[in-house]
Amino acid sequence: MGLHTEKNLPVKAAPSKSAVWRKRVRDNKFAYMLMVPTIIFMLLVHLLPMIQGFWMSFLKLNQFTLGKYLKAPFVGMDNYIGLLFNSDNPVRQGLNFAIRNTVIYSVIVTIGVMIMGLMMALLMNRDFPGRSIARTAMLLPWVVPSYVVGVLWGFMWQQNGIINYFLVDVLHLFDEKPFWLLGPNTIWAIIIPTIWRGWPFLMVIFLAGLQTIPEDIYEAATIDGAGKLRQFWNMTLPMLKPVIAVQLLFQIINNVYSYNIVSTMFGNGAGYPGEWGDLLMTALTRQSFGYWSFGSGSAASIMLMFAMLMVVGVWYRAFRSELNAQ
Amino acid sequence: MSTHRKRSVSSFMLTSLTWVIVILTIFPILWMIFTSLHSNDQILNGITTFSLPKPQWVNYINMWDTVNFAVYFRNSLLICGATTLLAGSFAVLAGYALARFDFPGSKLFSMSIISTQLIPGIMFLFPIYLMFLWIKNTFGLPMINTYWGMILVYTAFYTPISIWIMRSFFVSIPRDLEESATIDGCSKFQAFYKIILPLSLPGIIATGIFIFLTAWDELLFAWVLTTSSDVQTIPVGIRLFVGQYNTRYDLLMAASTVVTVPVMVIFFMTQKYFISGMTAGAVKG
Repeated sequence: MGLHTEKNLPVKAAPSKSAVWRKRVRDNKFAYMLMVPTIIFMLLVHLLPMIQGFWMSFLKLNQFTLGKYLKAPFVGMDNYIGLLFNSDNPVRQGLNFAIRNTVIYSVIVTIGVMIMGLMMALLMNRDFPGRSIARTAMLLPWVVPSYVVGVLWGFMWQQNGIINYFLVDVLHLFDEKPFWLLGPNTIWAIIIPTIWRGWPFLMVIFLAGLQTIPEDIYEAATIDGAGKLRQFWNMTLPMLKPVIAVQLLFQIINNVYSYNIVSTMFGNGAGYPGEWGDLLMTALTRQSFGYWSFGSGSAASIMLMFAMLMVVGVWYRAFRSELNAQ
Repeated sequence: MSTHRKRSVSSFMLTSLTWVIVILTIFPILWMIFTSLHSNDQILNGITTFSLPKPQWVNYINMWDTVNFAVYFRNSLLICGATTLLAGSFAVLAGYALARFDFPGSKLFSMSIISTQLIPGIMFLFPIYLMFLWIKNTFGLPMINTYWGMILVYTAFYTPISIWIMRSFFVSIPRDLEESATIDGCSKFQAFYKIILPLSLPGIIATGIFIFLTAWDELLFAWVLTTSSDVQTIPVGIRLFVGQYNTRYDLLMAASTVVTVPVMVIFFMTQKYFISGMTAGAVKG
């Protein structure tokens, strides 16, 4: 999962550019042969549908024009304008809530898994009795399929479920048993399970990162009188920064495009998870397939993709030096 | 003496904290298994006791018949297994090419692999759904509700990320190995096949597990591209335990346990490879 950038092989001064190019193509015949199956697959199942999706976002697609969908009436930017300004557009319904929830959800989940993963990696990096059992046990949630996470936590969040039992009957944090799958609490009902499932993986990655940091620099820092916190802040974190950068990007993408947990916690995506539980993916799928409006759906997903590209741009600017230093 | 004691006290505190977190973390999984051994009435009334006098093992028998769960299980195994084999082999080949050769177009290819991760799956969903309908109407070749349709889609989706994992792994193997093999008279392909492939087994296993677990987890495409229970996968089938009028939580939890425990067992048998494979490239950034 690394973002390696390899150095270019030095190109010797050559007679002409195209001759060099041809020679490099010829010399790398083996590499091209290795790539052939992947390229064919990616052209068929990535590039072609993508172009088609882009084209569809300019078409008026509904249950009547779907049969010959490539010949559906061309409506230009209407789908985009409809999504942005027309509140009657079926795909747009509830999209404001979905956008708000997706932002809250992905920010909190991403920060949550990074901090929990790092904290647990630091705890697990010590020598303590039963360490290998603890590490193995820690990984369990990551192997639980996310639809099971949705089903299981949906069950645990119920009003007479085990979570309310702990919170109310054991810890007495609330006077009455709160509803978790209804109202503003819903956002927590989807955030917490996602963090629960996500952070073991980051723990593993951070743990591997911590083990590449040489022990002696800590010894030197201790002799110089740097406290644990200072060592963490000035040595551990900077050393982990490239790992953090890459994992951060993958987490953001994963969480913005999250679908499974919400859809299985609330009736497999067919139902409406409420104003505080709807995410972009569940909202777009439900509305597009519910109203057979794939044109608007495509337009919405293209806008989402551009929004993500901007996020990646910000990410790249923030971590450029770390990524290029590799 | 006193600093030594202070250190051991704080060490004890940290160890206890670690174990508390570990137990809290695995609690939901234990709760799932514990719940699956209750009757539905007990579950609906709310379970608040941690003792289990009469385990309802019968749930694990009933879950197979009530919704024909064995078929979903078989479908998932078939589709995910085939996807793992296909996407895994593409990833090995392409990952090696990207790790070792600087061919014209390699930069563009690396970029497009990364960018596929940025595209929301839903953007592929509509075109692929319509494309499958079109293939059916034009060539009479069914794509929706077929194994190969699902395998095709999954293979394409999990290949790019798997290429990245494989590539990071190949980069961590020293280049000299192939060089000395070529000096000894191996062709490029022989060097790859005889020297590098066996060495990269941990990476291949890691990638394979990653693909399998991701495919095992997929819901959105499975839900749209399959409508017949003959090819539907577990995530689609498991919802049948949730009825409009009554939800069979006992069977739901038993089924959840059944789909989780096997992947856990496979994962823990191979976790040594998985961790070394996943982290080989990840920690280098």
